[in-house]
Amino acid sequence: MTRSSARSFAAFTTTAALLTLTACADDSGPAAGGSIDQNAPVTITIGDRPTPDKPADVAAFDRNVKAFMEKHQNITVKSTETKWDAQTFQAQVAGGSLPTVMNISFTEPQNMIPNKQLPDITEELKLVDLTKDLNPETLKIVQDGEGRIYGVPIDVFSVGLAYNRALFTQAGLDPDKPPTTWDEVRAYAKQIKEKTGKAGYAQLTKDNTGGWMLTTMTYSMGGTVQSTDGKKSTFNDAPTKKALQLLKDMRWTDDTMGTNFLYNQEEIRQDFAAGKIGMVLQAPDAYDMTVKNFGMKPTDYGHGALPQDGGPHGTLSGGSIKMINPKATKNEIVAALKWIKSQEFDKYTSEALAVENAKNSIADKGFVGRPGISPLSQETYDQYNKWREPYANVPVKQFQGYIDSTKSLKLLPEPSNKAQEVYALLDPVVQQVLTKQDADIDKLLTDAATKIDARLGR
Amino acid sequence: MANFAGRPSAWYRSGGLSAVVFVLPLLLVFLYFSWGPIVRGLVLSFQKNNLVTTPEWVGMANFSYVLTDPQLPQAAMNTLYFALLALIFGFPVPLFLAVFISELRSTGWLYNVFSYLPAVVPPVAAILLWKFFYDPSSAGVFNTILGWIGIDPLPWLNSSTLAMPAIVLEATWAGAGATSIIYLAALTGVRTELYEAAELDGAGIWSRVWHVTLPQIRGIILIMMLLQLIGTFQVFTEPFLFTGGGPDNATTTILLLIYRYAFINGDFGAATALSVLLAIVLCVLSVVYHLLTRRWSTT
Repeated sequence: MTRSSARSFAAFTTTAALLTLTACADDSGPAAGGSIDQNAPVTITIGDRPTPDKPADVAAFDRNVKAFMEKHQNITVKSTETKWDAQTFQAQVAGGSLPTVMNISFTEPQNMIPNKQLPDITEELKLVDLTKDLNPETLKIVQDGEGRIYGVPIDVFSVGLAYNRALFTQAGLDPDKPPTTWDEVRAYAKQIKEKTGKAGYAQLTKDNTGGWMLTTMTYSMGGTVQSTDGKKSTFNDAPTKKALQLLKDMRWTDDTMGTNFLYNQEEIRQDFAAGKIGMVLQAPDAYDMTVKNFGMKPTDYGHGALPQDGGPHGTLSGGSIKMINPKATKNEIVAALKWIKSQEFDKYTSEALAVENAKNSIADKGFVGRPGISPLSQETYDQYNKWREPYANVPVKQFQGYIDSTKSLKLLPEPSNKAQEVYALLDPVVQQVLTKQDADIDKLLTDAATKIDARLGR
Repeated sequence: MANFAGRPSAWYRSGGLSAVVFVLPLLLVFLYFSWGPIVRGLVLSFQKNNLVTTPEWVGMANFSYVLTDPQLPQAAMNTLYFALLALIFGFPVPLFLAVFISELRSTGWLYNVFSYLPAVVPPVAAILLWKFFYDPSSAGVFNTILGWIGIDPLPWLNSSTLAMPAIVLEATWAGAGATSIIYLAALTGVRTELYEAAELDGAGIWSRVWHVTLPQIRGIILIMMLLQLIGTFQVFTEPFLFTGGGPDNATTTILLLIYRYAFINGDFGAATALSVLLAIVLCVLSVVYHLLTRRWSTT
């Protein structure tokens, strides 16, 4: 057991070292200082650099950096592999080790804005001519009460139902007709289990994803998780109970959910790609990882709408935001926004660039044409997709159910206050329903509500 | 040695100053990196601090918050449960291994290598490997073996009753080799005459182990038990990587709770407050342990 203690010691020392290092760091809040000089030499650091195990992505990233620096002679771009992860993000913020620009989840800004962990970039956005492009609905995620803007939404997704077309066929189901109601999901899962012996449906349960997907199911049943002001939990009512009861029935009555009930995003995608799971709630970007990293056959991948109960009620939407380091100077903010615009937005308005990007993606073994939701207006997005259509290498038709749902289902945002904490506290609720046959749903939700309300009030 | 007290010039001439200059950087580095974090942690535990905005002094609020957190009793019970299981199952294994290996004359080194091997496997790799063993489907490694003897597949990490014992099993496997090396080193210090005398008196192997080996190394055994207790109270890697604290918080330990406060909630005040409380408990535990075992200790 000494190794265990040595490891814990190492973990503690690292934490302690981190805390000490931050002790040396400047404790003051964000204060973008100085006046703006767009030609002054400036250096910015970009996060999310691809890791060396993806050489093609690294090459593409480096190419973009080089092209950008040639166009903007005064801006030097450095890069790091730092990327957002719910499990470590707060430590990075606290450690002051954030790059000037990086991607973060939609769940973060509403807590970071009042904590002064994001800079106000409203004026700078106007300067680089970015505000007018942004979808006002999505923009709300990064705004405070007065409409000031603290980040740039770049990527929007909504949750749908990923399904294995091969398993559907084997089970005698039509792979072009994924289920659209929860009753159908239950029936399909039974059929898949019966005919193929595989799990008909599996659920995310670990590392905050259990709460995340319970929230999604709650939305699909017409419920909410948090009051509009974020001060109180609202999930202790019929829709969430119904969602949990459904999981309980599929697990214990039908036995169609397989044997593993501790899944995080990566683990579930791995088993899904391996053909062990018939259906699972996912955003369409699951396609990239299941096909590219876990070798799923593109022809086997299908993506349908988020199943509804009654309704249509809507689907949970989320996405990525480009955040800027709260310690960045005004010149750095402007340079960072120019980078964001060139990488994320110019392609929507320039056909040449859209086509060039598509060609590069294909050369780098990436994907073109995977359906998503626009951070800009729908017309701009449709136009952009049209330009890229000839190069699409993703089987778009297999996403038809999902594509239709993006036009018919309302996009519901994630909980506004402490979303990741709420998710973390809901994980064990889902886990208990799936691992304990006598789990008392009413009691579980009442207990979880007490815990969460205490957190929301802190 | 000459007494320089009261004679600074003599102290200076004999190199006293250079000794201080020599030791000073080391002392400062030690103070800053070894004690700095502890002091800083103490200060943090009285603050509302996300390490970005200006910290705010909140007195005992963090302590009352973590002590009233409805998750704390379960985390504390889980930690105690882990410590207890590790004591019952994990503690005797390395001792047994060491005694066993020391009894082997020619092939001892081979068993030594085998028992130490798990200690050189990086924890993350080991846990991934064991996850594979613990696969809850009937195709999992352990479940296949159980199938041979007609036992139904077990849910292992997916069951709130089995998850903790499963984690202890892996932790024992991972830690036993390193601990047994320490016991082995202690065993080489046992004088061979004692064994010879015991053999002359007609003692068999069990009786030799019981009357000679164990009493001779009891000092080490007592120390290892204390180290293990402190170590198991700080268990983190295994539950974090195996189960993320689940299912249903059955493997959420105190350290996992501290981690969640700090790195998911960004609440460094609460995290350090609970860390301070844990440190106090471990200090008290060590003192009580020392007092209780003083009678048996060889030192």
